[in-house]
Amino acid sequence: MESFFGRYRDLVVLLAILLAQVIGLAVQVRHTAGGQNSFDPQDESGVRLIRLWANSIVSPPERLIHGAKLGSGSLWLDYLDLRHVRQQNQDLQKTIDRLRLEQAALLEDARQGQRLQALVAFQQKYIYKTVAAQAIGSSGSDQSRVFYIDKGANYKLARDMAVITPDGIVGKIRDVFPNSAQVLAIDDQTSGAGVILETTRTRGILRGNALGQPQIVGILADNRIQPGEKVLTAGGDLIFPRGLPVGVVEKVARDPERENFIDVIVKPAAHLDRLDEVLVITATAPSFSSQQQQDLTDSESLMGAEAAAIKEQKKASEIMAERLPGLKDPNAPVVNPAANPGSAQPGQNPPPPPIPELGQPKMLHPQHPDRFTPGTAAEIPTDTSAAPTPDAPDAKPDPKQANPQQSPPRRNP
Amino acid sequence: MSVLDANFRRELEVHRYPMLVYALVPLAALVLQAWLPRVLGRYAWFDLPVVITVYFALGRPTPIQGTIMGAAMGIFEDALSHHAIGINGVAKTVVGFLAASVGTRIDVENHTIRLILNFILSLVSGAMYVFVYRILLGLDLEWTWFTELFKAIGNSVIAVVLFPALDRLQIRD
Repeated sequence: MESFFGRYRDLVVLLAILLAQVIGLAVQVRHTAGGQNSFDPQDESGVRLIRLWANSIVSPPERLIHGAKLGSGSLWLDYLDLRHVRQQNQDLQKTIDRLRLEQAALLEDARQGQRLQALVAFQQKYIYKTVAAQAIGSSGSDQSRVFYIDKGANYKLARDMAVITPDGIVGKIRDVFPNSAQVLAIDDQTSGAGVILETTRTRGILRGNALGQPQIVGILADNRIQPGEKVLTAGGDLIFPRGLPVGVVEKVARDPERENFIDVIVKPAAHLDRLDEVLVITATAPSFSSQQQQDLTDSESLMGAEAAAIKEQKKASEIMAERLPGLKDPNAPVVNPAANPGSAQPGQNPPPPPIPELGQPKMLHPQHPDRFTPGTAAEIPTDTSAAPTPDAPDAKPDPKQANPQQSPPRRNP
Repeated sequence: MSVLDANFRRELEVHRYPMLVYALVPLAALVLQAWLPRVLGRYAWFDLPVVITVYFALGRPTPIQGTIMGAAMGIFEDALSHHAIGINGVAKTVVGFLAASVGTRIDVENHTIRLILNFILSLVSGAMYVFVYRILLGLDLEWTWFTELFKAIGNSVIAVVLFPALDRLQIRD
């Protein structure tokens, strides 16, 4: 027996190591109800411990390298390459001032939209709080498209939080360590994000293929889907808020495994290969920061002042209209078309209903009347429909009707 | 030709290094493998842990050390990924064993031999990975053979440059 182990010692050690790893693999794989195997999404304590150790060993050198890279870059950018910076600062400050005003107006619209959505119980998620993080490393394997960021549980990051850039979505947090977190990118084969095509409104699931390209799978063949169409998040996966940019359709290919299905290859909006800074969405509950609240208050005060000015202007015009002489004789008899239906010309609309005298302002009798004075019977036009009314003070009389001598002759039917 | 003179190699060409080299070089390989793809993007066609496993396995007198080193490097790589721990471990365990077994039989100082060995063992590593993933575990995995081919070529080129540099760290009698 001893000679057997001595003779085949190398092979025995090899088999023992392989067997131990195979048993460990068997523990980590689950057989799903759909008849397929998959990784256990929640690592067991032993596996998680190994990951934690590996991360603890690799992260500090990665931070060092990343910091050195940033430091050398910032030395040039921050201290040497400063041409035109002052002018750029002034331009940017103007842009900030303008954008703050625009943002205040948009916040008002957003708040109104939220109120309306709350009314219809529409569960829309909004991005209100993000944490900026630096991508410091990766798994090193093209079969596992995960990367590490330099923020973790200490910054209240948690599993399944969405990771984005200003350009588009990047992935979701898969595992969290004290000072770092592992992010599963959208181009990994095991990722899944609910997306929707902007024009055709076709929904699908986005995941990566063997070449590391995000693709939408499980879509029935549709000729309307063309390259260049925008792809947005659908919001149904409860990870990515709805409406975030994902990318554009790069090409449409047939699904090699299923007939009548297509794979839509997507060119991601975010530069997944060259990520430096990302944003982790840590809160989607509606809330405004103090700065946003201040902007909102400023917006409301600005809007209030503007509304007051408009109201004051309207009031002045009303006063002016009241002071101008009216062309309607308050003493003239009221014409009731209902009482004299034959007065309406056939083919013409009936004259407007008489204005009730209740509520009409009583005009003072002039001390020195002339031919322009209201109440002079010879100058009163017969048609009262064009006379300004208290309900429409801005209405102007039709000059043709005000001067019946210039109106074209009517034809009798 | 001394390429197949196993006894000659067993007696004279056992490579020894300071302990610091055994610790830092694999660690540097793992860190660079994790960091460089962030810089190079999808053109990171290399697998530094395979190269380092092959290098140290070739210089040892028994396959056991190469096997253990391959297992450790593979498990470490798996721990940094989101896959099950052991897939790369199995692949690199086999690579370490094969490299050490071959290294006791041929002259690994020859650059051409090193290049060919790295190329073949890189392909073996990729094939073992796919075998464990798809056959042993029954998981879905899309893969392309030319990616593995490019990776094997990249490993071979790196080995040609890196091995002479690492040879300078040996303890000479």
